[in-house]
Amino acid sequence: MAVEQPGRPRNTRERFQILGDLIYDKMFHNFVWQSIFRSGYPNTPRNQMLAVATNVFLHLHPTRIHRTHVKITHTYCLGGLTFFMFLMLTVTGVLLMFYYVPSVDRAYNDIQAIQTDVRFGQLMRNVHRWTAHGMVIFVFLHMFRVFYTGAYKAPREFNWVVGVILLVLTLLLSFTGYLLPWDQLALWAITVGHGIGGSAPYLGDETQLVLFGGFEIGQNALIRFYTLHVLALPLAAAIFMAVHFWRIRRDGGMARPL
Amino acid sequence: MAIEQTARPAAQRPARPRQRREREEELLVWPDLLFPEFICAVLFTITFILLSVFIDAPLLNRANPDITPNPSKAPWYFLNLQELLLHMDKAWAGVILPTIAIIGLIMVPYLDRDTEGRGVWFGTKNAVKIFGFGAIYASAINILLILFDAGKFEAITRWVPGLQPIRETQLDGSEVLVNKGLLSVKDFEGRFAWPEDLRNIPVPFNQQVCDIYFKDLHLWCNFHLNLPGIMSGQVIPLSLIFGFTVAMIYTVFMLGWLRTRRDLMLVLFTGFFFTFLVLTVTGSFFRGPGQELVPPWGIVVDEG
Repeated sequence: MAVEQPGRPRNTRERFQILGDLIYDKMFHNFVWQSIFRSGYPNTPRNQMLAVATNVFLHLHPTRIHRTHVKITHTYCLGGLTFFMFLMLTVTGVLLMFYYVPSVDRAYNDIQAIQTDVRFGQLMRNVHRWTAHGMVIFVFLHMFRVFYTGAYKAPREFNWVVGVILLVLTLLLSFTGYLLPWDQLALWAITVGHGIGGSAPYLGDETQLVLFGGFEIGQNALIRFYTLHVLALPLAAAIFMAVHFWRIRRDGGMARPL
Repeated sequence: MAIEQTARPAAQRPARPRQRREREEELLVWPDLLFPEFICAVLFTITFILLSVFIDAPLLNRANPDITPNPSKAPWYFLNLQELLLHMDKAWAGVILPTIAIIGLIMVPYLDRDTEGRGVWFGTKNAVKIFGFGAIYASAINILLILFDAGKFEAITRWVPGLQPIRETQLDGSEVLVNKGLLSVKDFEGRFAWPEDLRNIPVPFNQQVCDIYFKDLHLWCNFHLNLPGIMSGQVIPLSLIFGFTVAMIYTVFMLGWLRTRRDLMLVLFTGFFFTFLVLTVTGSFFRGPGQELVPPWGIVVDEG
């Protein structure tokens, strides 16, 4: 969009307009910007659909969506918020990992150091903690919404199953993270869980050995929970989320009345 | 001449609105979906950062296996299980029932095959009524059962024959026998004068099969049946769960609200959800030291 140069500006307003157009032109119509964003702001329906369909981050969306699904009261955005919590947890979690060593001797001191010595460390830990609770709450509310709107019905049965798996993974993610600060709250909360795991009929001892690495909460449990928390479970959750989102598209978008 | 009677000129037919085509009902994802999503993300980023600025995440003293805080509680989303553990056998409460619940949740769409009410909030005719009934029923039953297990209704069960009195220590150190009713379901095991044989029934192949085949499995290694224990820990609680569930479905059926499988799923899920909620809230806000039932302001954590 080449800026058409008019004659002399008649007043201040026109001067600013010309200046604005000039800045816009210099910023967005140069080869650096256009190497990143191939086209400008999509201001026609055709370009808006193309923008969604061709962008790697947006293409999980369809290009068009039914009128009723945009209403906020249909979904309350709960699934999206759960995913958003996951993203926030990933970002803050990576930052916390820089300072945290999963060792019985160091873990507690590291958390204290994060809170007192690291710039914005306390804030990062707080955000991680509260969004973790938020994710559990949102995942429950999302299940509530999907059930009471009857959105699990055919052909979306399997996506409900994937959702239940994601619910369990979310609970496990939160539970494994609970031990990491290695304070009294963490230790004894996990000890309660340890007791519940140990009450499994016939496989109680095995459950404790596999999940907690021993008959009491110690270094083995800490390193297991850490590995599960930062690697195995997020990876599994990400894979199931990809399936979950993709199946929404494959099953014909969100559930609608017949 | 039938044609003349039925076919009317177009102008006389009542005007019906043209059915809109599918495509006309659709909006563009950019901007109608992406912008609300973006605004939602921004709003919640701000909310959670503000929350984090003002409220710090808890950090207690360094973990010490020798000091047990009282009460020690699981994370809040497992407090429903911890609450359930107080009332029944731990294998059932902690492992088997949650497994059944998860399998039940997975099976929901495979049991409810009709598409009635798909994609609409409370889509069937009686859905809201069923939801309201299920919510009130499940909450009330659970609260009453929790109160019963806290011994709040002991006065009305004093007539039960064979109940042993409780030994209570007075202030001056002397002990008196007090006649009390059932303080919890567990009293069924402890407060009756069961013959000792019933508490220790050997199982066939006890001690023998174990040594030969099942060395590593804990089945039948040293297995004695404790009949009163099984009754109070498993049979009574499970019968209550099953009985109240069936009673709930039956009531909704007799009210004439239960028309389809979707309605059945609504009853079951609502009952499950509110049971979960009541147990979680009780475990979080009403359990003090020793897992005693106390009001929220009465919870004092003894750090040990």
